[in-house]
Amino acid sequence: MAAVSKILKHAAVAVALIAATASLKARTTSESGADLPPSREALRRTAVALAEAGQVGRDAVRPQRIISLVPATTEMLFAMGAGNRIAGVSDYDRFPPEVSRLPKVGGLLDPNVERLISLKPDLVIVYDTQTDLKQQLDRARIPIFRYAHRGLPDITETMRSLGDRVGSKAEAEAAASRMESQLAAVRTRVAGRPRPATLLIFGRDPGALRHIDASGGLGFLHDVLELAGGRDVLGDLKQQSVDVSTEMVLRRAPEVILELHYGESLKTERLDDERNVWKALPSVPAVKNNRVYLLRGDEFVVPGPRIVMAAERFARTLHPEVYAR
Amino acid sequence: MTNAVAADRPRVAVRIRLAWTLLSFGTLALAACLLAPLVGSTPIHLTTVFDRSVPYADNIDAQIFWVARLPRVLAAAMVGSSLALAGVVFQALLRNPLASPDTLGVSAGASLGAMVAITFALDFSLLGVTAVPLASFVGSFGALAIVYGLSAARRRGTSTIVLLLGGVTVQALLSAIIAFVQYLADFTQTFRNVRWLMGSLDVASYPPLVAAFIPMSLAWAGFATLPRVLDLISVGHESAAARGVDVERSERVALVSASLATGAAVALAGPVSFVGLIVPHLVRLMVGADHRLVLPASALFGAAFLIGCDLIARTIIAPLELPVGIITAIIGGPVFLWLLFRKS
Amino acid sequence: MLRAVDVSFSYKRGRRTLRHVLHDVSFDVDRGTIVGVLGPNGSGKTTLVRIIAGMLRPDSGRVLLDGDSVADLPRRELARRVALVPQETQTTFDFSVIDIVLMGRYPHLGPFELERPADLEIARNALRATGTETLESRSFATLSGGEKQRVIIAAALAQASDILLLDEPTTALDIGYQFEIAALLKRLNADHGTTMVVSTHDLNLAAALCERVVLIKSGHVIAHGPTAETLTAHNIRLLYDVDADVQFHERAGHLTVVPLGRT
Repeated sequence: MAAVSKILKHAAVAVALIAATASLKARTTSESGADLPPSREALRRTAVALAEAGQVGRDAVRPQRIISLVPATTEMLFAMGAGNRIAGVSDYDRFPPEVSRLPKVGGLLDPNVERLISLKPDLVIVYDTQTDLKQQLDRARIPIFRYAHRGLPDITETMRSLGDRVGSKAEAEAAASRMESQLAAVRTRVAGRPRPATLLIFGRDPGALRHIDASGGLGFLHDVLELAGGRDVLGDLKQQSVDVSTEMVLRRAPEVILELHYGESLKTERLDDERNVWKALPSVPAVKNNRVYLLRGDEFVVPGPRIVMAAERFARTLHPEVYAR
Repeated sequence: MTNAVAADRPRVAVRIRLAWTLLSFGTLALAACLLAPLVGSTPIHLTTVFDRSVPYADNIDAQIFWVARLPRVLAAAMVGSSLALAGVVFQALLRNPLASPDTLGVSAGASLGAMVAITFALDFSLLGVTAVPLASFVGSFGALAIVYGLSAARRRGTSTIVLLLGGVTVQALLSAIIAFVQYLADFTQTFRNVRWLMGSLDVASYPPLVAAFIPMSLAWAGFATLPRVLDLISVGHESAAARGVDVERSERVALVSASLATGAAVALAGPVSFVGLIVPHLVRLMVGADHRLVLPASALFGAAFLIGCDLIARTIIAPLELPVGIITAIIGGPVFLWLLFRKS
Repeated sequence: MLRAVDVSFSYKRGRRTLRHVLHDVSFDVDRGTIVGVLGPNGSGKTTLVRIIAGMLRPDSGRVLLDGDSVADLPRRELARRVALVPQETQTTFDFSVIDIVLMGRYPHLGPFELERPADLEIARNALRATGTETLESRSFATLSGGEKQRVIIAAALAQASDILLLDEPTTALDIGYQFEIAALLKRLNADHGTTMVVSTHDLNLAAALCERVVLIKSGHVIAHGPTAETLTAHNIRLLYDVDADVQFHERAGHLTVVPLGRT
């Protein structure tokens, strides 16, 4: 992306120079007035051409009106200091607090294309799977940045490539490195500790052990779990998410159960009740040893800079003993 | 008077056929209920399950049996028999062999209730039953109320058609509202909605079974009054009335019972496709058209059928499990096509 | 045996009257006779049949069955005394012929009672009476129109009622089957003395079959009495606005009606 815009910039400057030279040689009078001597006119033209070339180049290299349909990339943009260049975000953006003042343009399933285009963006970050939206933006000649949702290492990689695309390469590199070292610190801290078999639950029916949806060995949360010193008890299944039956839980006998609750979905007064739901399976080591944890927060849903917080929380929960001091 | 009658097959008295039907299908259902909890992706031993020397909290086999499998098998039995019975009754009531518990929108009402509970994160419980099944049941009741109201406002002589049209309209309307609610949902909620729609029998506890049993037993009591009446009504409303059947009252009992059974089944396990459509036809192939045989046989066969489908669903791709609705569709779809081709 | 006294009926929605159907209809049916209720479509014949069968309540007037008001009799008891043969029978499910006929025994059984051997015998006798005993195990849906109607009549006979009500029994049948049914009904009446009320718009059927006729037009009885005296060209003109020639036909052995044109 950056390379292409550099070439464009160079090409624009080259064209401008050629045009200036040609006009100098031609010695034609300008249209605006016969008063200007040919050389002055040529200079004027050259100056305009150079300015325009610079304009194109600058926008290509450093977009000023970015729309981010992906909450993760919104957070990344703020982390690399590009937050003030965001013109619109998705309906599901929650962090940082500044996003509440920004225009909302829909989300993965229902992007509001009209609104989006009316904000006159010069870069739109879309999900790779939003093929219709990509086509519409291509037709409107609006540049796009494609975002794909994968594992933990892809978070920093995306951060870097996004930084390059929006002209904040250095800041993005700094933020990404910071993340990497923080994650490495977590890994080091829990290194050598025995890795408990952990059931990582993304969701279930409130108040019941039904429709349990858990990590199955793939995806960024699974990666975070492994980094934080846990062993995904369903890791051999190699699925992003698994529909877990009570028989599976009894069979796999996890030593720790981590339940993730987003936003306001779990009220404090319900914490005990929800934890006690697991008492129906007393043979599960996690239940027997009181190692069922209900974690609330948004940092688990967004594969962005705050994933470090998620990693630290996992590590503290799995290995309280190394965080005890 | 005593001349031998030329018949293709000697007529066996209905008493004997009924006894035989109850015995054979009853054995099938009972065997399914007793054996299914012992079979699964994890091998367990019956002796271990009932071994008193091991404290329950440590007895994995016992917990698998009592928490993971037995409620599931009982749920399958209850849902399978309720949906099959509702299917028989709707087919007779609407005089349409293609009718099913889904036709009149009761199932859609139940789905809408569940979807609203999931999307708007409703959180309440009553007597051990949580928000989603409760809202689901309320939804089914709402749909029934609309259809019932439409049918009560009907004019004489057009009851079946008005009921069918009204029910299909309600079903379409509710489906549109369901689509709207799904549109409002975010990605996670949509995911949960879709998972719910695939059906799940893993109830993992007994209170939901007891809760479902209440409306189901009311429905079954209603069904018990219907067998002969359904025979007569399916031959013609006028001739049924002329033979002493209170057609309007019987239709109301049929509608309410079948809707209660469907609502409770869908609230318990989500919408499980094809059971209510296929089981009555398969049963009629085996026992004939007499509803006095078809109703009890469908209840028993429906239970065994769903227990079997659930067994396949939870073992075929072990350690993963398939939603039971996929198995009933994979079996039900081709069977249904075969039935259609047979008829034509 | 059966007496209609000033029966009036209109279709209502709530309190509003939608359509007047019958006005002060009165006539008698003596035991062992065949009486025809004749009239064009929309004259109220079917409504009258439904009222006699107890399915509708008249707004005013009564229908008396051996002195008992039909509207006051409990359903099952009425069904033991009046049997209905509807115009057409469509079965949704695959019942056999004997299944269909056994349904006629319903008014004689308790709510959960199953048929006994005696009921089966009665059903078989009914099949024999209508000449359909060989069809016993056949699927009803596979029968011809005439066979179906004969089986339905057998079912009505199995009901062992005092009166047989037939609502347009031959309207849906081909001419061959029409003869078949008419002959059957005449024979049943001759052999067993079965009282029948036949509603029809077919003048020739009425002429062939009925001893007495009741002519109904727009809900009013315009004439009733013995067929020979009542089924006249004059009355036919009043009833159908059709000029007809009514003659006794030697070979047929009964009156025949030949329509000639509209008036």
